Formats: sequence, structure tokens, C-alpha cells
Amino acid sequence: MKVLIVNNMAPFIWGGAEELAANLEKQLVLAGHEAEVLRIPFQWNPAAKIPSQMLMARSLKLWNVDHVIALKFPAYLIRHPRKTMWLVHQYRQAYDLRGTELSNIPVSAEGDALVSLIREADREAFGECRAVYSIAPPVAGRLKKFNGLESTVLLPPLNDPELFGGGPPDGYILAAGRINSGKRQHLLVEAMRFAAESVRLIVAGPPDSAEDGDRLKKLVELYGLSGRVTLDLGFLSRPEYAGYINRADAVAYVPFDEDSLGYVTMEAAGAGKPVITATDSGGVLGLVKHGETGWVCEPDAKALGRVLSEAAGAGSKTREFGANARSLWKSMDVTWPRTLEALLR
Amino acid sequence: MKIALCSTYVPFLYGGARNIVEWLEASLKEAGHAVERIYLPETDDPEFLFQQMAAFRWIDLSAADRIVCFRPQSHLIPHPNKILWFIHHKRLFYDLWDSPYRGFPDDEKHRSLREALHRADSAAFREARKIFTNSKVVSDRLMAFNGVAGEVLYPPVFQPGRFHCRKYGDEIVCIARLEHHKRQHLLVRAMPFTKTPVRLRLCGVGSGNDYPDQLWNLAGELGCRDQILFENRWISEQEKVEILSDCLAAAYIPINEDSYGYPSVEAAHARKAVLTTTDSGGVLELVADGINGLVVEPDAVALAGAMDRLYLDRQEAARMGERAGGRLRDLGISWDHVLKSILG
Amino acid sequence: MNLLVFAPVIRSSAIGRMAALVVRALAASGHEVSVVRTEKECFSGSATHAFACRPVSWTDRSAVTALAGSADACIYQIGDNEEFHRGCLEWMPRFPGIVSLHDIFLGHLFFGWAEGRRDEAEEILRFWYGGAAAEAFFPAAAAGDFIEQTRSVSPMTEWICAMARGVIIHSGFGAERVLASCPGPVYQVPLPVERPSLLADRPEARPAGDGRFRVLTVGHVNPNKRAESVIRAIGSSKTLRATTVYRLVGKVSSARRVHLVDLAKASGVMLEISGEVDDADLAGALAEADVACCMRWPSLEGASGSTIEAMLWGKPAIVTNTGFYSELPDDCVIKIDPDDEVASCRAALELLQREEKSRHLMGKAARAWAEEVFSPGNYASNLIRIAQEANRLRPVVSVLEEAAANLRRWGASDALLSLGETLDPLRALTGAPPDAAGGEQAAHPA
Repeated sequence: MKVLIVNNMAPFIWGGAEELAANLEKQLVLAGHEAEVLRIPFQWNPAAKIPSQMLMARSLKLWNVDHVIALKFPAYLIRHPRKTMWLVHQYRQAYDLRGTELSNIPVSAEGDALVSLIREADREAFGECRAVYSIAPPVAGRLKKFNGLESTVLLPPLNDPELFGGGPPDGYILAAGRINSGKRQHLLVEAMRFAAESVRLIVAGPPDSAEDGDRLKKLVELYGLSGRVTLDLGFLSRPEYAGYINRADAVAYVPFDEDSLGYVTMEAAGAGKPVITATDSGGVLGLVKHGETGWVCEPDAKALGRVLSEAAGAGSKTREFGANARSLWKSMDVTWPRTLEALLR
Repeated sequence: MKIALCSTYVPFLYGGARNIVEWLEASLKEAGHAVERIYLPETDDPEFLFQQMAAFRWIDLSAADRIVCFRPQSHLIPHPNKILWFIHHKRLFYDLWDSPYRGFPDDEKHRSLREALHRADSAAFREARKIFTNSKVVSDRLMAFNGVAGEVLYPPVFQPGRFHCRKYGDEIVCIARLEHHKRQHLLVRAMPFTKTPVRLRLCGVGSGNDYPDQLWNLAGELGCRDQILFENRWISEQEKVEILSDCLAAAYIPINEDSYGYPSVEAAHARKAVLTTTDSGGVLELVADGINGLVVEPDAVALAGAMDRLYLDRQEAARMGERAGGRLRDLGISWDHVLKSILG
Repeated sequence: MNLLVFAPVIRSSAIGRMAALVVRALAASGHEVSVVRTEKECFSGSATHAFACRPVSWTDRSAVTALAGSADACIYQIGDNEEFHRGCLEWMPRFPGIVSLHDIFLGHLFFGWAEGRRDEAEEILRFWYGGAAAEAFFPAAAAGDFIEQTRSVSPMTEWICAMARGVIIHSGFGAERVLASCPGPVYQVPLPVERPSLLADRPEARPAGDGRFRVLTVGHVNPNKRAESVIRAIGSSKTLRATTVYRLVGKVSSARRVHLVDLAKASGVMLEISGEVDDADLAGALAEADVACCMRWPSLEGASGSTIEAMLWGKPAIVTNTGFYSELPDDCVIKIDPDDEVASCRAALELLQREEKSRHLMGKAARAWAEEVFSPGNYASNLIRIAQEANRLRPVVSVLEEAAANLRRWGASDALLSLGETLDPLRALTGAPPDAAGGEQAAHPA
């Protein structure tokens, strides 16, 4: 089949959804289909532009495509007789973020009219799909709460699970993932002030901006942590990254309100490593159960410091939690063959 | 600079049109720019023509410092720094209106649509900061139909440094799609008229019809199969470099093509002369008879004569091949020149 | 081009007569023209104007659908008479086209159409003219002064123009309302009138010897045509009373006839009321007239066919200085001050009666001017031009309609329908430069 994956594009920005789309494309090809990703530019500022962007997606004409898998608003408004929704997210600024400083839709009659427009268009688009899936429970929850629509949670599988075989721990806790203020690696660095002397932390990953990287460097310097905190800031190849995961005692991942389980979480669990996370990390809590598969604590440096101390050292509890994490992850049966079968039904 | 390269495509159909965008992207990135590629789908159906055009008008690429637009309808995307590298119009509504390809009736409704399209296109062209085209033919069309001037900017091939010349062998090579308007059948017809042991090598894929079979059958009928090497398959870039490095010369004889075609430029990079015909159109913007190739009448005898001439006078063939490189420089067919033009 | 013209075809319709002229001119230029007759069915037996083809009835659904579906453009003749133009209203929504707008005031047309559609009608009134006008409209129709009450507040011009792909108006009168509501091109083209045949083309010919000063008014005898004022004007002048015969040709109610006859008697005026006559008698009346009196108050028409006709006959005309009439050249007509109607009219008649030479010169000038300006060929070629221009705008208008349809389906308010961010980028699709002050596309309730 000729499968077109339809996603938004914010020009010059490449993030998790882009990765997902690219991996979905790769997996479809591996499964014997023809696949391509269509990236539709989306300009949401000012909010008055949004109706034109919706119309734009709706006015594109597809030919020579058997099946569409759509990921985001407004790209999922594109017309096609065989369309499946794999919802990464709707336009949150019209829904759960409405009224907060993160929303560009004014709290006014005009703003209400726009929200109403988006809601109706969403209803139409979702109604056109042969199946509606959400990439994570929070996404499905919002869809149900704000639009009254049901969806099946279909988690995105790991792209190269064979790399995450796990292995003997090397005496450090890994803070992985893209480095920015939302992922809050800075919290983990600060937490090291309150952690036991013997605890070692490695922060490895690409900073979104120079400022994000500098912030961590400054913290290490400020608190004299250079002996115990290693910063490996920059692009990591997959084998390098997997190596860090596989040799860690535990993996710390404390993003604010993550939409989904998080790739870091899934990769750690797949490698049999327990995960440290925060109470407000959102979807991550789907895999991290305190006292079973890892630790969950308040998102503050002191509490995290205590947890880091507990997790450090290849104690049996740590290994037990790691094994539990792997079991839990396996039990979710999140594989590409199963995912593709659902998406192409 | 942040540069957005914009074009249109049909999903799952691959062709030469996509290459130029990807190659430009590579060159720009090499020069340190941030590049985003915007490929959006569009179809030819007249019923949905303006609806799709509206879609492109709504695209906002203000995140880019500059945009470069290739195939229609991408030229409609608004931007204060819009550069067009114009490859072709929606030709059915332009120069191919009076051709059998049109497919829809020449009635009031479609004539109105054509008039409306010309107006819209002209307005979009006037928005551009600069317009480049891929050949004189296209520039002429742009002026005749839309009253705007387009500077010719010849598309270079990807990584021209890959091509090299190892020797001048016995084969005259044609690496191009096996299609009727590329006229490989004329080359086949020429073979029986050759007097030297010169050989012909035809490489390339067809486009789904039986033209490749026709070539094979024709060679059989004419009894010249033993003079020809048929390779009806996709030729990899590496193979192409190898074949061109060893051949005597290249042949490229499409009928009335808009641009010179990549085969001519690839041969020139490999320092090989190009054999072409008087009615090949854009190819003649590159190939000058006796300078960097031979230009003959599009008939079997003339072509055979040219092939023999190349075979017999290797040194002349080599000299013409050497001059081919110079001709590329003269015409500015290089990525340096392209970048200067696009970024200027 | 292949055209479908919707028009009344019966003899008593002046618009029908114009339509016949234009259809013949279009056919003569090589276009394929079909006609759909638009009157109420009870008129189907009446005598009709001569069209180049046999008209199809507007009620013949399959025939009209087939013709309209294959036409390059549909042309609708619109006037303020629901019984004559009913078929236009029926078909315009489904096959939008070019409107020849004969009347700016379309209150009667709308009122007739509104029967059985009260809610929809009130919504239309509210949309264009506001709640107060919507409330006042139907009560005004019941009262006697419907026209007076509604013509400036809710003339209903916009209701028709918003449905058209292009509009031809016949004078500058009412142009602003048309421009504000028509989503396509608007042309001003002089109304075509038939030139009198050569045989009757003798403006000097009239019954010899009776020394009478013949004043003629043609058209449906209603208060708007100011017959009373003319009678009073003649009656107030000794010389005019002695010499003038005032003839009224056109449909007249018996009550009105009685009223005017009584008034003439009381004023000492010689009055001839001929009622409706056939074409030959009308030609005779025009031929023998010395002066055509074409006063109107208020002016409701876009242009006046009968005035133009009189001018083509080489007759000096007396007109009210308003609307279409004020645009007529001063050497061809005498313009009357509507605020001092009777005195003004008397002065004009006295002048024309006294100065025979001036009268003839004026008539000659009128004829020359009218022949040049009001030719059917000129109208026909403008009709073709506007139809082509509307067709050329069609692709972009379709895009706007599609966008509006999508937004409405998503529950958009009117404000959301007209966001600059949505509409501005589309301007270039019409060929206009990005900063051109394009006409605002009115969002209409259709």
C-alpha cells in the first residue's frame, strides 16, 4: 500500500513528532509498504491565522495515495477517503491550555469563536477517520474530556529496541533526552547537592539551545559538582546513547507534564533499568510505578536528591525494580507489527 | 540564512524534478545555511485547480529569510523574499493548450479558467524578488505568456566532482529514460548505417509502456543487435560515473526538450563530447557543433556519420570533450554560481 | 458564447421588448441564444414579443435545467414586477448569472416573492437593512404608501445583486447599492431601445391642419407618472389650454381614468385617454406627438424605456430632474424641478409650444444622441463582455465560496468569515497586486 503520513511542520524545527513520523515511515517500508511523510507548514501566530491554516490543509488534494495516517492539527484536516488518526496532539492552546499564558487565543468573544471553530473542525476530521488512536493516555484523556470523543491508546514503539539490551551497571545515574527547561535536567543537577557523595550523575543529550546547555554548566560550577556530574552535551549517535542507557544503574527522567510515556522511559525499561521520575511528569507515570518499577517523588531538588541516593549503587532493589520495569514494558506489547496492523486496518 | 525550498509533487512518483531541490539543499547546507524542504502535493485536475492554488496562498513561511520555489503551485506561496527557480508552467493551460495532451474541452468554461490562471500566475510572478528559469525556452515562455523576465540559471548535476574521464573507448552512450520523445529509436536506426565498429549503449528505465520492447524489436528487425548494449534498468550513480568515464562520447537526442537535460551535463563533466540533433531544443543551449559535440539532422544516416566521425578521430573526440568542461563554466553551470544567484 | 436569457416575453412588458431586441442582436453577432420566459403561468396564452427562438417556460424543469447546465452564461432580466419576473427568482439561486437590473426599487418583486416565505424574507431584510426596516416592511405594504415608506430604507436592490455574478445597470442611479452588494463586475450600459422603422421615421409627419399642440405620455398610468401635474400645468395656462391635446397611452384603471377625466374637465384641458394599444397605434401616437412628457416622481427605474423611445422618435421630452433623467443631455430634453412641478412643467410646455424651431432642433438632437447610445448591438456586446469577465472571476469566487462553506460548516461567525489573514492572501489570485484596494466581498446569507 501507498501510505502517506501527514504531519505538521514548524519550519526549521525538528522534534519528537517528526521523529515519530520518520520512524513510522521507516517501519512501514520495512513491512513492505511504500511510505512517505507529508509535512504541512503550520503558522499559528497570530491566532487570526489559524482559520486560514485549517482551510489550507482542507484544500490540499491528494492523488496516488492509498491510506493516510494523520498526526496533528491542522494537518489531520487533509481530505482522504482512507484516513486513520494517530493523534499526537490537537491544538492544545484551544483546549487544556486555553486561558493560560501558553495560549495565543485571547480570552474574549473572538477567542471563543475561534475555539468553537477548531472544536467543530476537529469533530468533523475525527468523524472522517476509519479509526482514531492516541499516542498516549493523556492525549486520549484530553480528546475525551474536551471533545467527547473516544480513542484507543496506541503507544509508539521503540525504533531500535535491539540496541537496548541492558547490561551490568557501571555506577552512574543517567539523565537522558533533549536538554531544555521543560525536560528539567537542571533539577537533577541541583538535586546532586542533596545526594550522597558517592552518587554519580551523567547528563547526556543535545541541548535545544546554547542557553540550555550553559545553564547546566553554570550549575555544576556553582555547586562544585564537577567531580560527580559529567556533562556530555551534544548530539549522540544511537549506539552511543544506547550504551549510556545499557550501562546505567538507573535512568532519571523528570520532564514537566510529558504527553506520552517518553522514549527515554521506554528505552530504559526495555533495557531493564529502573526510572526516576517526578509526580508531575505526566505520561511517564504510565511506566514508572513508585516502589515497583522505579521512583516517583516531588519535583524538587531535595526530594530528588534523596531518591538519587537510594537508587545509586547496584543494590538488589534497584535491579529488582529494573526487571519489573522491563516486565511491565513487555506486557504492554508495544511493537511495530502490532502498531502498523492497527493503523492500517 | 534560513532558506525554505518549496516545490510540489505527486506522492510516490519520483522523477528528475525532485533532484534539483535535494541537490540545492545539500549545497546550501554545505555552505552553512539552515534549509527546510517543503514538498506539497498537487494534482492537475482543472476542477480543483484554484482550490489548490488557494491552499498555497495560505502557506506562511515567514520563519524563513528567503524561499526558493520550483514547480507550480509553489510559486504562489507569498513571501517578501521569494525567488523562483522556474522549471515549467501548468503547460496544459499554456503552450500545450493546442495539443492533444490537453484532455479537457476548449470551451468557454475552460478558457475562462485559463485566463484566470494566467492572471493569477502573473500576479504571483510579480511578487517574486527574482525569477530564474532552467532554460531559455522557459524564459521565453514566461515573457510571452506572463510578461515577466526570467534569468536562465542552469541546474548543475549533483557532486559534479564524481565524474571523471578514464579513456575514450568504443561506445557511444545514452543514459536517459527510455521514452519515445527521448528518441532512442533513432539511435538504433542509425546503427546499420555505421561503417566503423562503433557501438551503442542504451541505459535507463522506461515509463511503463512498451517502448523498451519496441527498441529491442527494432534492433532485431534491422539486424544490429550485436552492435548495441541494451540495459533497460535503473542505473546507479556509481555505474553512471563508470560508464561515462570509459565511453567514446554521449548521445542525447530528445525532441524539442525545454532544458539541456542532465545527460548532456554529466557527459560534459566526464569530458565527453555530446552527439545531439538540430531539433533537440534546450540541448543546443549547451552543445555547439564542432566545439563540444556534434549537432546533426535527426535522421539515421546523419547520426551514423557523426558516430563514425567520433570513432575515427579519437583526438577530435577528446578535444571536444575537454572543451565541454569550459562550456559548462561559460554557461555558469555550477553550484557556486547557483548559490551566488539564489543568495544574492 | 452559448447564452440562456431569462425574461418576460409578453407584449405588455417593456422589459420583454428590450429583451427581444437584445436577444436578436446577440443572435445576429453569432452567439447561440435560448430564452426562458419568466411570467406567471396565467400569461402563457398572451401575445409575445418576437424572439429569435421559441421561449421555454420557466416551469419546464428538465428543459431549463438542460439549457442552463450547458450555457456559458445565464442572463436574467429583473424588474419590479413579481408576476412578470417570477421565473427569474426561481432559477437564479441554482444557476447564478448576469442580471440586467431594470429597476433599483424592487419592493414589489420582493413582496410577491416573500409570500409563503415570511421568515426567510424577514431574515433577508434584517441582514441588509437592520431590524427596524425588517419590522416596518410588511406593514408598509399593507398601507398605501409602500413605495414612499420603503424605497430609501429597503429598496431590495441588494437582495438581487448579491445573487448575481455580475450586474448591468442602465444609469448611475442606485449604483452604490449595486456595487456594495454584487460580488462580481458591475457595468453601466445604456438601455437599448428599438429604433423606429424607416417607414415611420418621419418625425415631422402628423395629421395636417388641426393646429393642435400634441403632448404624449406613454406607460402604465400611475401616480408616479405625474399625469395630474401635467393636466394642472396645461390648465393653468391660457395658451396651453387653447392649443394642447394631452394624450395618455397605456394601461389605466377605471378609477384613475374617471379621476383624470374629471380633473381635466375642471381644468379646461383637452384630454385623450387611449388605454393600452398595440405597437402600430403606439408608433402612430409617437409619430404625431409634438412633445413627450416623461416626468416621474419618485424615480424608481434605472432608466426609462419610454423616454428613450420618444427620443429615438426625434421628440423633445420633458423630464423630471432626478435619477436617470438628470443624466440626459441638456440639449435633448427639458428638465423639470420636482419641487415646483406644475409651474416648471407649464413653463416648459409653453416654451416648446411657442418655439417650433427649437422644438425640432431639440428633437433632432435627441434622436441623434439616443441612436448612438441606446443601440441593442452596444448592449449585446457589453453583455458578452460582462459575462466573460464574470466567468473569469468564477474560479476565485468559487474558492471564496468553498472557504466560506467550510468555515460555516465549522460554525464560523460572520467575523471569522472575513478575517484579513484569510482573505488578503487570496487577492493575488484575481491578478490584483497585493496592495490594491480591492472591492470588499460582502458575505451574504445565501
